[in-house]
Amino acid sequence: MSDLVSNLGLGFSIALSLQNLALCFLGCLVGTLIGVLPGVGPIATIAMLLPITFGLDPVGALIMLAGIYYGAQYGGSTTAILVNIPGEATSVITTLDGHQMARQGRAGIALGIAAIGSFCAGTVATMLIAAIGAPLTRLALVFGPAEYFALMVMGLVFAVVLARGSILKAVAMILVGILLATVGTDLETGQERLTFGLAFLTDGIDFSVLAMGLFGIAEILRNLDHTETRDVVRQHIGRLLPGRAELRQAAGPILRGTAIGSTLGILPGNGAVLGPFAAYTVEKRIARDPSRFGRGAIEGVAGPESANNAGAQTSFIPLLTLGIPPNAVMALMVGAMTIHGIVPGPGVMTKNPNLFWGMIASMWLGNLMLLIINLPLVGVWVRLLKVPYRLMFPAILMFCAIGIYSINALPTDVMLIALFGLIGYALIKFGFEPAPLLLGFVLGKLMEEYLRRALTLSRGDAMVFLERPICAGLFAISIIMLVAALTPSLRRSRDDVFSEA
Amino acid sequence: MSELNHGRASGRGLVRGPQSLVAGIGLVALALFGFWASGDLPQGTLRAMGPGLMPRWLSVGVGICGLGLVLAAFLKDGEPLARAAWRGPVVVTLAIFAFAVTIRPFTFGSVTMPGLGLIVAGPLAVIVGGFATPEARLRELVILALFLTAGCMLLFGDLLNLPIPIFPVAVVDALSGTLSTRTLLRLAAGLLAVGGLALLFLERAQRRQPVDVAHHSMTT
Repeated sequence: MSDLVSNLGLGFSIALSLQNLALCFLGCLVGTLIGVLPGVGPIATIAMLLPITFGLDPVGALIMLAGIYYGAQYGGSTTAILVNIPGEATSVITTLDGHQMARQGRAGIALGIAAIGSFCAGTVATMLIAAIGAPLTRLALVFGPAEYFALMVMGLVFAVVLARGSILKAVAMILVGILLATVGTDLETGQERLTFGLAFLTDGIDFSVLAMGLFGIAEILRNLDHTETRDVVRQHIGRLLPGRAELRQAAGPILRGTAIGSTLGILPGNGAVLGPFAAYTVEKRIARDPSRFGRGAIEGVAGPESANNAGAQTSFIPLLTLGIPPNAVMALMVGAMTIHGIVPGPGVMTKNPNLFWGMIASMWLGNLMLLIINLPLVGVWVRLLKVPYRLMFPAILMFCAIGIYSINALPTDVMLIALFGLIGYALIKFGFEPAPLLLGFVLGKLMEEYLRRALTLSRGDAMVFLERPICAGLFAISIIMLVAALTPSLRRSRDDVFSEA
Repeated sequence: MSELNHGRASGRGLVRGPQSLVAGIGLVALALFGFWASGDLPQGTLRAMGPGLMPRWLSVGVGICGLGLVLAAFLKDGEPLARAAWRGPVVVTLAIFAFAVTIRPFTFGSVTMPGLGLIVAGPLAVIVGGFATPEARLRELVILALFLTAGCMLLFGDLLNLPIPIFPVAVVDALSGTLSTRTLLRLAAGLLAVGGLALLFLERAQRRQPVDVAHHSMTT
C-alpha cells in the first residue's frame, strides 16, 4: 500500500509539472475540439493529431495523447447528446436517452451528468490501474516468448469475438493486418519481403500512414457518401448542474456503470465497446419502469457514460502491463510509444517509472480537466456542431496531409494515405471493420518475433506451446472463446447486446 | 461495379449474399497475390523460421477466410452490395496527390514538379478536396483555404517547428539573406489571414440583401 502511495506520489510530481500539466490540458482541449465534430471519432482524432506529439519528450507526448483520447471520447458523447450522431461505437447508446433529454430541454443536465459520471468512473478506473498495474506487471515478467505469443493470440481472438458483425470477416481483417506487418525488411534475416523492389516499402508500411488512411481519410469518404441530416438541438441547453434529486437518481447507475465498464475494459479485445451496451441493458432490466428508457431517462445516460469512460481508462491496463493493445486506440498508443523508442510491456514500469506513473496520474488530472473544460465551454461546442461538413472535411484532409508529411518528409507517404483511404472505404463498403486490421498490424511484428524466439528456444518443437501451463491455458481460453462465439445461441445473444438499441 | 450495385439479395437467386461473395473473392485474390509474392522467399524450418514462413501461411489463412465467405454467399442470405459513390473517393485522392506532388520537388519519370511549399500545396488540397461534395462553393473554399493555410503555417512551421517547406523553392532562393525565414513566415501568414478576412467581409456585404444562409442538406 505504501508502495502505491509513493508511486502515485512520483506520478503526480511528474504530471503536475508545468509542462505536462499544460500538455494534458492542451490534449484534452484539442481532443474535445476535434472529437466534437460530428463524424470524427477518437481513432480518427488521435491518428490525425499523432504527428503533433512527435516533437515532444516521450512522457509529455503520451500524456498529451491520453488527454486527446479522453477529450475525443467525451466530445463523442457531446455529439451524441446534442446532434444524435455518435462519435464512435461506445457512445451509440448515449444517443438513445441523451438526445431525448436534449429535446426535452434538458441537454445541459444530460451533458452535466455525463461529465460527472465520466469523472467518477475515471477516478475509480485510475485507482484500479494503479492498484493492479504493478502485480500484473510482476506476473508478466515470468512470461517467456511462448506465453507472449499465446497472449497475443488470445487478445486477437477476443477482438474477433467482441467485434460486431461477421466473425469470419473479423478474422480475415486480423490476418490481413498481420500480413501487412510482414511487408518490409525481415528483422532476423535482413531479407526484403513483399516490397517489390519499391524503396519506400523497405522499412515496412508506416504505422501512422496506415492509421491515418484507414481511419482519417476513409472516414471522410464514408461521411461524404450519405448527406447527413444533423439534428442539432434547438432547445435551450438549460442549466448544467443536475439537482439533488437527479444526482440521487444517477448515483446508482454511475457506480454500476463504472463497475461494468472497468471490468470489461480490462479484457483483451475490445471489451470497452461492450461496456456502455451492457450498462444500458442492466439499467433497463433493474429499472422500476423500463418504459422510461429511450424517452430521456437520466439513468440511460449516467450508466453507459460512466461505463464508457471507465472502459476507456482500464483498457490502458493490458497495454501498460503486458504491452498488448486491446483495441485500435491502444494500438495507436503502441505506435506512438514505439516511435519514441519505448517498447510497451512490463518493462515500461521498471525502466520508465516516470512514464508509467506520470501517465496514470495524468489520467486523473485529465478527467478533472475535462470536467472543468466542458461544463463552461458547452456553448462553444454547440457552435462547432453547426459547422457544415462541406467545410469540415477539407480542413481534416489538409491537416492529415501536413501531419503525415511532417513525420518523414516523404511525398510518397502522403500518397499512401490516399491509397489506404480508398482501401478503408472499400472495406467499409464490403462490410469489413478496419479496426481489427490495425490491431493485427500492430501486433503482427511482435507476434512473429515471439513465435520465432519461442520456436528457436524449443529447437523447433511446436509442442512448446502446449507443454508450458500458462501458455496452454491461454490457448485453451482462446479456443473456447472462439468456439463459443461460433455457437448459434451465444452468437444470437452477442448480437442482442449490440442491438439492444 | 455500378451495374452490380443494383443487385439485391432476393434470397431466391443462386447468390444469396452478393456482398460476401465479392468480399470473399477479393480476399482469395489477395491471398493468391501474397502467396505468389512471398514465393521466392525461403521458408526455413520451425527451428529457424525463414522470412517467407509467416507471409505464406498468413496468405493461406486469408484465402481460407475468403473461401468461407464465398461459400457463405451461396448458403445464407446476406447483404446486397453497397452503393459506392465515385465523386468523393476520386476527388479526395486527387487533392491528396496534388498536395504530395507540390509540397516539395517531386520527380516521377522525366517530369519534375517544382517544390511549391505549403503556401501553395495547402490551399490546393483544400480547394480541390472541397469539391468532393456537390455542395461545394468556390468562394467559401477559398476563404477556408486562406485561413487554414495561415493557421497551419503558424502551427506547424512556427510553433511546432516541423520541417515542412513553407514557400516555393524559387522564392526561398531569391530572398535568401534578406529576411529570416521566420519573419517571412509570419508575414505571409498574416497576409493570408487578412486576405481571408477581406473576402469574408466582401461576401457578407454581398449577401446582406437576400436570406441569410441557404439551407443545405448538410447544415441542418
